[in-house]
Amino acid sequence: MIKMLDAYNMVKDENIILIYSGPIWNDGMQGIAENLKKRLEFDELPLSASQSVFSVFVEQMNNILMYSAEKQHLHLKEKEFDVSKGMLIIGVIEGKSYFIRSGNLVKNSGIELIKSRIDHLNTLDKQQLRKFYKEQIRAENTNPESKGAGIGLIEIARRATGKIEYEFTPYKGDFSFFSMLVYI
Amino acid sequence: MAFILERQRTGSTPYVFIDGDKGYIKLEGESFHENVVEFFKDINAWLDSFLASEFTELTFDCAMEYFNSSTAKLLFNMLLNMDDYAIDGKKVVVNWITTVDNDIIIECGEDFEEELNNLEFNMIIQ
Repeated sequence: MIKMLDAYNMVKDENIILIYSGPIWNDGMQGIAENLKKRLEFDELPLSASQSVFSVFVEQMNNILMYSAEKQHLHLKEKEFDVSKGMLIIGVIEGKSYFIRSGNLVKNSGIELIKSRIDHLNTLDKQQLRKFYKEQIRAENTNPESKGAGIGLIEIARRATGKIEYEFTPYKGDFSFFSMLVYI
Repeated sequence: MAFILERQRTGSTPYVFIDGDKGYIKLEGESFHENVVEFFKDINAWLDSFLASEFTELTFDCAMEYFNSSTAKLLFNMLLNMDDYAIDGKKVVVNWITTVDNDIIIECGEDFEEELNNLEFNMIIQ
């Protein structure tokens, strides 16, 4: 069994236009970004819509890059480094509404922080998010654990239609799988 | 001492041009490199030394089409830094250059401008 028809049908049924799973490092991300841009051009969206999709894509990629608990050792062009692993799926429903799902492993000890941040963002409206973004960008990063003061998450919330959906599924040992879903 | 820095645009970093003698800096394009802090290091180093010098005028043409949240933080810090020095007869002009359909960049420019007190901020919508 090659199972390709199953994969084809799954992608078609779920209106998926892009799936990426694996190591995420800058050159790789840049390649996927180029791909996504071409695809968005094809959909002839207004700039604000395509930029919103692109922006959520970039911030989610960055979140995986910074927070994924799963690492892979890469050996590229005589350079060796550890990169984060994760998964990202983008889809479009009837050529209008986009969804971006991301998934990566996290340490259980980090769950509460992510939860509290997203829950808080989900209580804010667009004007409040705009204000909060500016405040956070001004504020010095007080949490040494966080490498971006959660500004990326605020940006995702600003571009999202509706709330950020998320779940944590217990994985192995000290790890859970963190899934996030955003509509644009 | 003449200082020129020019860096071509890549898939995730902007075009950079700095002419130290003229007090001119330009950024153009997109910025979402994973290591954006590293990318801005020499730009900020130049800016710090320029601002500390006896300059009379600094012009910053910011023609960004898209930047991620990490870059937003860096740009905002650059602007705050410039704003602090735009006093005592020293002139700092920031041209925030964008297009009419780029809502995200326009909004961001408006938000940054609200926090700046001394420098001249021009929103240029082409």
